[in-house]
Amino acid sequence: MQNVIVYVQHKQGNTPKVTFEMATLARKLADQLGGKAHAVVVGAGSSRLAETLKSYPLDVVHVNDDADVDGFLLDPIVEYLDAAAKAVGPSLILVANTLGGKDVAGRLVARLGAGIVADATDFKIEGGKVEAVMPKMGGAAITTAAFKGGAYGIATIRPNAFAAQAGGAGAAVQPIEKPVGKSYAVVVENDVEEGTGELALEEAPVVVAGGRGLGGPDPFETMLKPLAKEFGGAVGASRAAADAGWVPYSLQIGQTGKTVSPNLYIAVGISGAIQHKVGMRSSGTIVAINKDAAAPIAEFSDLTVVGDAFAIVPELTKLVAAAKA
Amino acid sequence: MKIVVTVKLVPDPNAEKRIDPATKRLVRTGVETVLNPYDEYALEAALQLKERIGGDTTVTVFAMAPESLKETLRKALAMGADDAVLLSDAGLEGSDVWGTSYAMAHALKKVGFDLLIVGGLSDDGSTGATPGALAEYLQTPLVTNARKADVADGKLQIERETDTGYQIVKAPLPTVMTTALTFGEPRYASLKGIMGAKKKTIAAMALADLGLDQSVGAAGAKTELLSFAPPPVRGKGNVVEAADGATGAKAIFDFLKEKKLV
Ligand SMILES: Cc1cc2nc3c(=O)[nH]c(=O)nc-3n(C[C@H](O)[C@H](O)[C@H](O)COP(=O)(O)OP(=O)(O)OC[C@H]3O[C@@H](n4cnc5c(N)ncnc54)[C@H](O)[C@@H]3O)c2cc1C
Ligand SMILES: Nc1ncnc2c1ncn2[C@@H]1O[C@H](COP(=O)(O)O)[C@@H](O)[C@H]1O
Repeated sequence: MQNVIVYVQHKQGNTPKVTFEMATLARKLADQLGGKAHAVVVGAGSSRLAETLKSYPLDVVHVNDDADVDGFLLDPIVEYLDAAAKAVGPSLILVANTLGGKDVAGRLVARLGAGIVADATDFKIEGGKVEAVMPKMGGAAITTAAFKGGAYGIATIRPNAFAAQAGGAGAAVQPIEKPVGKSYAVVVENDVEEGTGELALEEAPVVVAGGRGLGGPDPFETMLKPLAKEFGGAVGASRAAADAGWVPYSLQIGQTGKTVSPNLYIAVGISGAIQHKVGMRSSGTIVAINKDAAAPIAEFSDLTVVGDAFAIVPELTKLVAAAKA
Repeated sequence: MKIVVTVKLVPDPNAEKRIDPATKRLVRTGVETVLNPYDEYALEAALQLKERIGGDTTVTVFAMAPESLKETLRKALAMGADDAVLLSDAGLEGSDVWGTSYAMAHALKKVGFDLLIVGGLSDDGSTGATPGALAEYLQTPLVTNARKADVADGKLQIERETDTGYQIVKAPLPTVMTTALTFGEPRYASLKGIMGAKKKTIAAMALADLGLDQSVGAAGAKTELLSFAPPPVRGKGNVVEAADGATGAKAIFDFLKEKKLV
């Protein structure tokens, strides 16, 4: 396990920020392992994305604009990565810990007979051995695990955990051959982008989340969204808010919703039930706005402001906007 | 049609977890073992499909866990699964994700299925990699995050959530599928279900039944756990009473400024 390969998940060349975080991480790890940093970009729009990736510190970007990648589910990607891994030789393969990334990572575990470390937030290389730090059980435990050798290892990478930094000599862009003689089983009949153009919750550096204390759907639009926007962040919610139909379930954070770990989490009118806590407790900084000083969220927030959200949030939005100007 | 659902038995996710600093292990006293929440959703999907397809469709639940947790599986039977298979063996202890999926895949091949529904994520392992690894070892397609599924003409038609929207896909059988939480809330076990579950069979499987070529358990694992520690204590931070909106906003703003977050 000496080289590093980044699987670049994208749609028509649009890729989440975690790709660039992984490209930066790959360089660092490859240098420590004494190997090369590679990236694999396949599917429509790949060549365009490869141009952007060139300015990240990678050695080689392997590209194919193969439309089959988009027409079939998963199988073509696995075939390309398998081929790339075998061509590059013993490597650590980095995959984003996203819905789509997990599928690819799982298939590779069996395809390459490799170990996996999941949702990594830090790495250490000790005597050529790769160790990963991973929060588990909703952040109740921090674990460290190491690969026991083996030619290949898979790591899924938590978005926002590593910094993205362009630079480097400029990667060589190389075509990668389409694997021959493969059949793909699952046909994608319809592919719908619910393109709100907004940042995915798990990716957002700042999350402004609302709960039952907001009393209805409107404050999410008129109050939380503008604040989130000032931060370049996204809006989330408690289950109570999703159950009430104020926001879609895709915004729910917690045990039965999404797990987020932004640099800053602002909980507005959320009491901080354990099922909510497990979805956000590993956020960098937690700020709560709650009119009840005894709300459980105060027990694990870095700052709790006791007061009326409807009075505080608009004022805060103004302050943040003014600071940016 | 034979539907099999994998169910992991995990420490209750709702319990406050504590790690014993001396042993570096999870304190399990007072923490109940339950069905992994995502797997309850997977089971709900299986039961809905069984109701819709009808005929001789059956739902089997499958778990790899210590024999001592056998009774926890009754909950799945009480919810409506027809029978269960429990793969237990001392030799499986300490298996990593690779070993778990390798052993499970061999067992599931023996159990047989037309549709294998796997949970999206386990509460304790949380890799989400098991479904993919199972599909690869079983040489079936993998369709994850289904929010709707139907079987027509021997094919699965699935609506699945993606990172950025949704897709409609068609897959042949047998297939491995995982469910999104939007598929439907898991049902409660009825009193009748609970009574009926006592009579349902939980078949036992052991390593010797699988005929594996590679060693699993701690010895065969491709990764090893080096440390398991509580997170850095996140103490109670400052609590500030805000007389009005402007004061509250300023308190937050100053704090964020100090932390270089604005
Ligand atoms: C199996 C299971 C799974 C669950 N999964 C999840 C999950 O994934 N995510 C999740 O969030 N929950 C989950 N829950 C629900 C969880 O237990 C709580 O019920 C839920 O988180 C409460 O949401 P809330 O904090 O918005 O509402 P509440 O607990 O009602 O809290 C509302 C808060 O708003 C404050 N407030 C009211 N008005 C104002 C105001 N004007 N200004 C400021 N503050 C105000 C109140 O003081 C209160 O603290 C789950 C529960 C179960 C049983
Ligand atoms: N030991 C096990 N027994 C049964 N199912 C399991 C086991 N381990 C993992 N799974 C299944 O795989 C899914 C994903 O688990 P994981 O990859 O650990 O996040 C779970 O939701 C379960 O359905």
